[in-house]
Amino acid sequence: MSSSGEHPPRPSGRAGVIPRSSEATTAGAVALVARRRVAQPNGWWGMALFVASEATLFGTLIATYFYLDFNAPRWPPAGIKAPSVVLPLIATAVLVSTTVPMFLSVRAARAGYAGLAARFVGAALLVQCIYLAGQILLFRHDLNDFRPDQSAYASIYFTTLAAHHAHVLLGILLNGWVAARIGIGGLTTYRLTAVRCVALYWYVVNALAVLVVLTQLSPSL
Amino acid sequence: MATLITPSAERHVELLEQVWAERQGVLGWLTTTDHKRIGILYFFTSLAFFAAGGVEALLIRTQLVGPNGHVLSPAAFDEMFTMHGITMIFLFVIPMTTGAFGNYLIPLMIGARDMAFPRMNAVSYWIFLGSGIFMYIGLVTGHAPNSGWFDYVPLASKQFDPGNNIDFYGYGLIFNGISSTAAAINFIVTIFKLRAPGMSLNRMPLFCYAFLAVSFSLVFALPALSMACVFLELDRQLGFHFYDVSNGGDPLLWQNLFWIFGHPEVYIIILPAFGIATSIIPTFVRRKMVAFPLVALAEIMVAFLGFGVWVHHMFAVGLATITTIYFAAASLIIVIPSAIQLFAWIATILTGTPIFKTPLLFIIGFILFFMIGGLSGVTVAAIPFDQQVEDSYYIVAHFHFVIFGAAVFPILGGMYYWFPKVTGRMYHEGVGKVSFYLTFTGTLVTFFPMHILGILGMPRRVYTYPAHMGWTFLNLLESIGSYVLASGLILIVVNLAVSLFRGPLAGNDPFEGDTLEWSTTSPPPPYNYPLIPTVSSPYAMWDKEDRELDNRRLARGEGLLARGHETPASTVQDAEWDEILHMPPHSAWPPVVGLTLTGMFLMLLLHHYEIAAGFLVAGGLALLAWHNKEYAG
Repeated sequence: MSSSGEHPPRPSGRAGVIPRSSEATTAGAVALVARRRVAQPNGWWGMALFVASEATLFGTLIATYFYLDFNAPRWPPAGIKAPSVVLPLIATAVLVSTTVPMFLSVRAARAGYAGLAARFVGAALLVQCIYLAGQILLFRHDLNDFRPDQSAYASIYFTTLAAHHAHVLLGILLNGWVAARIGIGGLTTYRLTAVRCVALYWYVVNALAVLVVLTQLSPSL
Repeated sequence: MATLITPSAERHVELLEQVWAERQGVLGWLTTTDHKRIGILYFFTSLAFFAAGGVEALLIRTQLVGPNGHVLSPAAFDEMFTMHGITMIFLFVIPMTTGAFGNYLIPLMIGARDMAFPRMNAVSYWIFLGSGIFMYIGLVTGHAPNSGWFDYVPLASKQFDPGNNIDFYGYGLIFNGISSTAAAINFIVTIFKLRAPGMSLNRMPLFCYAFLAVSFSLVFALPALSMACVFLELDRQLGFHFYDVSNGGDPLLWQNLFWIFGHPEVYIIILPAFGIATSIIPTFVRRKMVAFPLVALAEIMVAFLGFGVWVHHMFAVGLATITTIYFAAASLIIVIPSAIQLFAWIATILTGTPIFKTPLLFIIGFILFFMIGGLSGVTVAAIPFDQQVEDSYYIVAHFHFVIFGAAVFPILGGMYYWFPKVTGRMYHEGVGKVSFYLTFTGTLVTFFPMHILGILGMPRRVYTYPAHMGWTFLNLLESIGSYVLASGLILIVVNLAVSLFRGPLAGNDPFEGDTLEWSTTSPPPPYNYPLIPTVSSPYAMWDKEDRELDNRRLARGEGLLARGHETPASTVQDAEWDEILHMPPHSAWPPVVGLTLTGMFLMLLLHHYEIAAGFLVAGGLALLAWHNKEYAG
């Protein structure tokens, strides 16, 4: 029998051999590995746990917001007007809409279409950049009205928003990296897992965006 | 494998030796991604911090040996007890259990060749090292944290503690939390995805269940601490008002956030000890654990329930009665899974044929101390009693029985138990037993009188006391106990250090252990197993037919996986082989990332925010370079 090259049989007796992920260097082979795989890849699990931890972090921020709110005689305090509703809701809807191209990029990558996957990620990236630019303008506008060192309300308001924007920025950097990697170098098993991980990250960040904006706007709702 | 039965098996092993050959020297250790080497790095680093925390404890006890002591000034005493707590919890117990024991043993126990993310494993270590050095820079420069390990505001606010002391705490714990989160994620994915074929979840060793529970607790508990520290630093550095009651903030917010982390933290500390106990007991009583599924469930339940009891640390702060009653009841519920485990350990020992070697002695000590600490814990779940003994030495007694007696004794027992596996040599049994009796007596004499002192009214954290209080004799006794305890600990280190060079060769399986790590050589080779073992029960090493089958498969070269650093990934529930992964052999980027983060936090502390941002960007670029070389998975 050969030594290093042999694939062990599947213990359950399922058909086929166990795929060697590192050997999938063409788009077709990558798609084949993805189809043969039963469990989610390690990278996906790693990202799932990372975003679970980040979601807990936002849970802490939102809980703090309402903890301070319920203990305050007036929320927002005197001198700070309640947040305007329309613009943040529209911006959030725009961000949440990027869930669609992220989802489609995963579909395309799993089917072995590297260029298409890169274009979907690129489309999402463009919208996310516009969203972040708009949010930075809104953030600066808010800073003109009141400062985070003015009251506990201002502190939690700006901290929650800044934490969310930081997560959007991280997602943008991840998307830029993934789009460049696939667009230029094509698909590998590693990059397919990367697309799935980044998409998962965005699903959660988009869901958190909804919770954050509802928290932010709660005095006006 | 136990024996290489044919020349062809030897040839296959030689091939693996070539593929997995490691870099030598300092560079090899700096760039290693081998879970065993990283475990050893964690071991020695956390042992060094244990020594530092121990010296701090001895200084505290020396100051309190008699009334009106002058060994430490009041300010130095504050720094000592604060650093003692931070060191023992964040820089010793967690890195020693998850970092050293978990890293070294989990992949071996599940029949894998490495952790799921080897480079992230390395980066966890380098960040832990950086955060430890960061916090100790505070001590060396005379600015150590000084408001207790739970750092209550407003005492810890800028107004009352204007120096850098608290910033070493705030930034240090955020920094340290990154390491623990990364390690916890790595453990969960490793346990879920890299188990040997046949090791379905119900056939996983209880040790792995304990580490799975700890890792989930870390993932969900640490964000609360990290955010609490972010709020603290925003208050202190930029004048925010999270905890400032005069501007709408609330000091109780800190207490809530801290204990939402802090109580799961107690189980994060003690669950690995449970895991070690459930490894040692079956081996030395020669029988399988009683109530295996119940113990596995109890380990998970303890971790889960630990998230719902944090307010029992706050019974004396004046919360609504209904709130405190709810949390008192929730706290009492934890008795149930804890007792399940306790009774299972006792029943296993009583119905087995115990061989009282050093590791088992430490576990019996652990069971006794856990009972004492557990029972005093039940007393403080009673709100009126808790309000009487709050902030007294009774509390100090309770938590030292739990997090020293119950959490550290299994670590000491585990050090003896796995010493032959890690080093290939046996420790000295006679000296081992003496070291047990010294540490056991020292622990009892140091901490038991604290119950009485607490009831007599001695508050914790007082730097001295007058002679007429009636506390003198018990304090003297405790201080003597602490030196006895220290001598026992030193004897353990001496025993292991001498045995490392002079101990007789141990062989693969000196104790006839029950889990897979005993099937490979001592110390294990870089690839752990020449071929991935077959598993059909949680006591894989006692399934002799499986082990013989492995040997025959090795002779045939079946499933050798030697085209690179290969290890199989399996399905989460049933552990069926799903794909073959190619793991990264070594990388220079993890220490670089650790270094950039250390630089960033130091610059934040010194208010050089632009340079801190520069370090962050450098860390990001290092991550980019890290991912330039792709490994499948």
